[in-house]
Parts: sequence; structure tokens; C-alpha cells
Amino acid sequence: MKIIEITGLTKYFGGLAAVSGIDITVNEGEVLGLIGPNGAGKSTLFNLITGVIQPTSGKVVFKGKDITGKRPHEIAELGIGRTFQLNPLFPNFTVLRNVISSFQIRPRSSLLDTFFNTPVYRRNEAYILEQSLEILKLVGLYKVKDELAKNQPHGYQKMLGVARALAIKPELLLLDEPIAGMNPDEIDNTIEAIKRTSKLGVTIILVEHNMKILEICNRVIVMNFGQKIVEGSPQEIKDNPEVIKAYLGSGHDTKY
Amino acid sequence: MGSMIAARGSTEYRKNLTQIIGYAVLICVLALIPLITKSSYILHIFILTLIYTIAAASMRFIITSGQIPLAHAAYMGLGAYISGVLSKNFGISPWLTLIIAAIAAMGLGIFISFPFARLKAFYYAIVSLFFGVGLLQAIESLGKLTGGLSGITAIPTLFNTTSKVPFYYLFLALTVVSLVILYRLEVSRIGWNLKAIEQSYLVSGSVGISEVKYRVLAVAVGCFFVGLAGGMYANYNVTVSPSSFDTTSTLWLVIYVTIGGMNNFSGPIIGTALLFLLPQYYRGLKQFTPFISAAILFAVVYMFRDGIVSIPGLIKAFYQRIKGNSTK
Repeated sequence: MKIIEITGLTKYFGGLAAVSGIDITVNEGEVLGLIGPNGAGKSTLFNLITGVIQPTSGKVVFKGKDITGKRPHEIAELGIGRTFQLNPLFPNFTVLRNVISSFQIRPRSSLLDTFFNTPVYRRNEAYILEQSLEILKLVGLYKVKDELAKNQPHGYQKMLGVARALAIKPELLLLDEPIAGMNPDEIDNTIEAIKRTSKLGVTIILVEHNMKILEICNRVIVMNFGQKIVEGSPQEIKDNPEVIKAYLGSGHDTKY
Repeated sequence: MGSMIAARGSTEYRKNLTQIIGYAVLICVLALIPLITKSSYILHIFILTLIYTIAAASMRFIITSGQIPLAHAAYMGLGAYISGVLSKNFGISPWLTLIIAAIAAMGLGIFISFPFARLKAFYYAIVSLFFGVGLLQAIESLGKLTGGLSGITAIPTLFNTTSKVPFYYLFLALTVVSLVILYRLEVSRIGWNLKAIEQSYLVSGSVGISEVKYRVLAVAVGCFFVGLAGGMYANYNVTVSPSSFDTTSTLWLVIYVTIGGMNNFSGPIIGTALLFLLPQYYRGLKQFTPFISAAILFAVVYMFRDGIVSIPGLIKAFYQRIKGNSTK
């Protein structure tokens, strides 16, 4: 079953087409990899889907509902979680508080409940605390939960970004370069965490430069200059001469 | 794990309890002041301190969301003028106009903040600065009703007495109630969300925090309380003039918050109290007050970025460092 359907999505920055006429369909439970060189329009595509920027034209349909032009928080409410490539967290909060603060939707307390500290609010907060600790265990950050997020190493901050995105209980998760800048150990842990998340039934779209990520994708789309150039299984992508030329470069052994 | 949470809960509870006892003692001491001093001048200073504590604390509430409201004193002026004009020219009870002033300031705050809600810190500061100047000009230009530059006089007061004691007790109660409400908001999810937006509106949006909703909420709450402070000022002070609410007054509020500590709830309270009460010790040098305040501001900004309230924490850290070194 289709979970998200993108048709003819286009975004111009001035005269430059950052994304031009992209069509992507993602099925439920899939892990879709989105690769391509710098400036290919991958992050722009994420920003368009999550409403951070508005498309020039085109349409995004999530679970049969047109979500084009909605505000970011409305899209989060519908069940699309995302991580950010840079600054993926609230730096001055503790790790635990980062996750607690990301629980806004399920459950959501009304402003009056919150202000008057009603039993509903307190029950919600207790549930949120329990769930947050659960998520921190899932991504392996439980041991640093009471430390400030900004003092954490890069890999932990990235994982915290994933933890935060999981807190909105997403049906679709967009991961923007989840393993960029990580050491090999962290990469393995992160890939494990993504696999576990996928097993929970979350559909995942991930953007990455590192070809190692291909091993967990069901399907890969290669973008360049804002357009989709190839689509196929990880093996097909690795062998495609056009991809090797456009993205991996030509003339030397890529060892992949 | 469960016991860990429980343990942390109990230390938090104990900390809260000592805090509550501390505040209770402080309020008792403040309640005794009219019995200690017979000087109506001292009482006047304390009453002004209470009014401006509400104003500074409400300003800090907006600042936690990452926007610096440089129109804040103008909103206080709006509250003061509304309360003053309604009670003087329309004969409405000052008790009622106090509430009307607060609600009117909140209403204007909400109305204005929708288009400005997504402006970030610096841009919001500029826009609100000019809005404040414009608002004050508008009040001035209402001529007959507001008395132009000279303001309004002979505003009916809340109590028909020359004594300041009833004012002091009423305002002490209003200040305590206002601060309790602001504190409740700050430590609840609402306060955390405001701080989240301040740190990253992108991340906040991605987890479902509506930036506009919470920023408007912050301004609504802040303007309500500063409007209330304005009403209190008008119906206590009897006269109201535009010069009390100009940009300089806003900057004084910023100074109270900065000196006390922007990142701590008690910051504006301590900052206001310090800058109102300290000059009483050098009353003979009154003309130097702005310089002394500026010196304090410079000292605080250079030495303790988180204001005076951060000093105990710094001393503690310093002491622990010394102790740690000596045991090695």
C-alpha cells in the first residue's frame, strides 16, 4: 500500500531548480534510500515534504491526504517524523528532556490541563517519561540521559535526532544523513537502530552519501541536479554505469 | 530503574519543599515591612518594586520564547492609560479597570503578535521597538482623553485613603499571584516548549510544536501581566504620563532582567528589587543612580553572564574545584 506519493514536485530558488518534477512513491514498511552528490536536491526534497519550505509546484499526498503547503507542526501531527543533517536537537536541554520535549502529539495535553496540572496532564507526563526512557534505550543513549545534549559527541547527537523523531510515533520517518561524520562503530550501531525501527513497522526514507547504507534499503533512488536519474534495487544501483559515472565518479576503483 | 526515578523524584520534592518554605519566609518578611517602617517613602519604593517586578517577570516570560519585547513598557502604558481613563472619565470602579487594562493589553498583544510571531530575535526586537514608540505616540495624540504629553492626573485610587499600607498589601498579593502563575507556566510543558522554540524553531516544528501558537501565547501572557502592572501603577500613582512608559523604561526592564539573570525565574525579581532598593542606601547621590546601575550592569555582564542569581552556583563550583584540587 502506498504511504506517500509525490508527483511533479518542483522547487525553484530564484532561477535555480533545486528539485524539478520529482515523482516518488513509497510503500508501507519500505526502506527507501535517496542518494546523490551534494546539491542534488535531497535535503530540499525533505524540507518540501515536511513543510519547512513551500514547493513551487507539484503535490505531496500522505496516506491519501494532500499535505502540500501545510505547516511543519501539522505535518508532524499527521505522522511524518524527520531528523536534521545539522543541529538535530535542543542543545541546552538534557538528552532526556530532548526526547520528552519531542512528545507533543501522542499524547497531547490541552493548554488548560497543562496549566492546572490536572490528573490528565500528570498521567500524560508520566507516560511520556516512561516512553522517553524506552526510546533512549532503543537508540542506546540511556547512559547519558541526564547530560546536556550539546556536550554529547557528534554520533550521540545524531542518534538523539533519531530518538526525537521516534517520539512523535511516526508512520513515515525521514532521516537526513543519519550516519554522516560517524566512526565505524557508530555507523554499525546506527544501522542496527534503523533496522530495529524499520521492524517496528515504520516506513523510512533516508538520504545518505555513504554507500554503506545501501545494505539496509529495499529500493534506492539516485538524484542529480534536482532530478531522479535511476531507481532500482541496491544491487542494480551499484552496477548501473550511469550512477557510477554521476555519483561514484569514473576512472578509479570504488571498492563498492 | 524504577527506584532511580523515585529517588530523583524525592530529591526534587525535597528541593521544592525547601524552596516553598524559603518563599513563604520571604513573603512573611515582606508582609511585616509596613509594621517595621512608618515611612511612607520607603513603602512607596516597595510598592513600585512590586509593580515593576510583575513587569520584569512578564517580560522575561516572553524572552524565554526567544523574542525580546522592546514594546513592553508601552504595553504597561496602555494598561495604565486604559485603567486611568476608564476610572476617571467613565466612572468605572478602579478594581474593574485593573482587570480591563490587563485584558486590553493582552488583546492588543495577541492581535499584533500574529503577523510578527515568526520574526526571529533581532528582527522582532526592532519591530517591537518601533511598535512601542508608535503605541505611545498614539496614546499621546488622543489629546483630551489622555492629556497629551502632560498625561492624566487625579485618577481615582483603589483605596480611599492617604495611607499606603492597603496598597502595599494588595500589590504584594497581586505580585505573589502573578509570579505563581508565571512560575506554573514556566515549569509546565508550555514553558519547556517556549524554550524549545527559542533553541530551534526547525526542530520544534518537526516534533509538532506550533511556533506561532506558542509565541502568541507567550506574548499574550506577558502582555496580560504587564497590562495589570500598568493598571496598578495608574490607580496607585494617581498621575500617569507618557514619559513613564517610553523606550527608556523598556530598557530599564531589560536591565532588571539582565542583571538578575535571564535564564532563571527569580532573575527579574532579584534584579528589580536590587535596582529599586539599592539606590535608597545612597539617596544623597540620587543623580548618579543611572551611572551606578550601568556600572552594576557592566560588572554583571562581564563577570556573570547568567546574572546575579548565578553567583551562588559559581561560588559552589569554585569551592568544589578547590576541594577537588586539595584532595589530589
